[in-house]
Amino acid sequence: MRHVPRRLVLEPRYLLAALAALAALAFILSLSVGPTGIGIDATGEARTLIINEIRLPRAMLGALVGGSLGLSGAALQGYLRNPLAEPSLVGVSGGAALGAVLAIHLGLSHLWALALPIGGLAGAALAMLAVVALAGAHGGPMTLILAGLAVSSIATALISLALNLSRNPFASVEMVFWMMGSLADRSLTQLWISAPLMLLGSALLMTLARALDALTLGEDAASSLGIDLRRTRFAVVAGTALSVGAATAVTGIIGFVGLIVPHMLRPLVQHRPGLLLPASLFGGATMLLLADVALRIVQAWVELRIGVLTALIGAPFFVFLVRKTRSELAP
Amino acid sequence: MAALGQASAVEAQPAPARIVSLDLCTDQLLVELAARKRIAAVTHLAADPAVSAIPEKARGIPITRGRAEEVLRLDPDLVLAGPFGVSASVDLLRRLGRNVVVVPLAQDLDGVRASVRTVAGAVGAPARGEALIAEFDRRLSALAPPAGALPTAVIYQVGGTVSGPGSLADAALAAAGLRNLALAYGLARGGQVPLELLVAKPPDLLVLASNVDEYRTALADNLRHPIIRRLRQRGLSIELPWRYWLCGTPHIADAIERLAQARAGIEARRQ
Repeated sequence: MRHVPRRLVLEPRYLLAALAALAALAFILSLSVGPTGIGIDATGEARTLIINEIRLPRAMLGALVGGSLGLSGAALQGYLRNPLAEPSLVGVSGGAALGAVLAIHLGLSHLWALALPIGGLAGAALAMLAVVALAGAHGGPMTLILAGLAVSSIATALISLALNLSRNPFASVEMVFWMMGSLADRSLTQLWISAPLMLLGSALLMTLARALDALTLGEDAASSLGIDLRRTRFAVVAGTALSVGAATAVTGIIGFVGLIVPHMLRPLVQHRPGLLLPASLFGGATMLLLADVALRIVQAWVELRIGVLTALIGAPFFVFLVRKTRSELAP
Repeated sequence: MAALGQASAVEAQPAPARIVSLDLCTDQLLVELAARKRIAAVTHLAADPAVSAIPEKARGIPITRGRAEEVLRLDPDLVLAGPFGVSASVDLLRRLGRNVVVVPLAQDLDGVRASVRTVAGAVGAPARGEALIAEFDRRLSALAPPAGALPTAVIYQVGGTVSGPGSLADAALAAAGLRNLALAYGLARGGQVPLELLVAKPPDLLVLASNVDEYRTALADNLRHPIIRRLRQRGLSIELPWRYWLCGTPHIADAIERLAQARAGIEARRQ
């Protein structure tokens, strides 16, 4: 993967333009595919309703959530200098889901719509801080994964506890929603409450480009280059919490997007973590939109959830990365 | 008729005096068919107004969670169970020599009649059972017959789930003179229907089996979707909470009557 022939490397602006065009194509595709295939099987008012109230929120959410996940994955991998970092693997998504579940079942989201994404971002921030504290700033990849596993397990246990305590007759089905994620039948409401926070988080993460490039030389060198490490750390935690927290609060946990996308794009950006940020933003949006389109195409035969699809693609990739990391770390 | 014969055979024995029910549906049949003092325990669901058709009648009856040990302590001479959830307890109770009657799930209106007869026979009240069935049949035959092509309906629930052919809810639709649109959505046995299909091929009647105010869960977001609100504002929907038709008891006639009323409204608007 590291030996990309020189001629394949695009200039950054062309690369980003190409990735943005791909994302736009995926967005249009997502708007045009429904449960009955390509096109809309309705006319008049029903047609308008389907486009405005169903497909548009779904495509916009797919693009924003996918972009947030891809970007957060790239930021986490760059900041932690760890190829296995990813929002769902390090427990950030689990924390976000827990925060959202609490906001819903304590009735807070009923009183104030924004309580839902804010609950998600609070949970994500706490999980993120817990993982960093557990793994330490200089922990190796495996320590980070173990810390993430611990935080995820606690979050999962507390989510099921909250669902069971609320005497929710759908506790088990709802557990699936939170663990496997879904973009189906989300409305503009969910888009409006989550989009501003996702955009804010993404903007914060995008400011990290120079810091992440400098960090490839190590923390001391980065400091001497004028990078404020505390500010960088704050931007990573806050940016990830905002974007992953708000995304997870309205779609549930969608895993592995933040793992695969930066890895696939890394050779194209010549291993520059700063440039990887915008590339992963567009790449993440493209991947999630395409996965969602695939989901609707196979829907006629099998009812799949988007989190299942991303896990089916992502988990084998994760196994491959673990093997690779182990052989690199072996004495 | 086979069920009747079985019932009279049971009648010959002394009627059970300490009856325990382990299933919401047998709870309701038991409360209707046996005197209160002969009921030792029912499930906690029997008094839950969200799922039980007879919460007031069941209030105050001791509650069991259905664990075998707990049931044994009640020393029942008859245990009524449904097909779900407690099969391990049922096996254990049978091995310990308790009289357990498992009432199968009613999947159509004949199943409702059969359930009534089974429970009535088991508790030694076959005459009371036949009276309930006669009243049930009288209510069904009093429904206005459908005029012209059957209007379509969808039973829409939390999470976008719809009831398909072969379910009791489907049988209730048919009895009310409505055609279940689940088949047209490609759901031969029920499942989840995307909102988009609901808009593209709207039913004449949207039957909401879940009341959105009862749920705070994320699964109920589909019921809060502006599209559902729009369909409801046009008067094309009725709310029919599960307590009316979750179980195959004669109370399903309440659901069928309300559905038939809605169907008559649609037919009147057509003309």
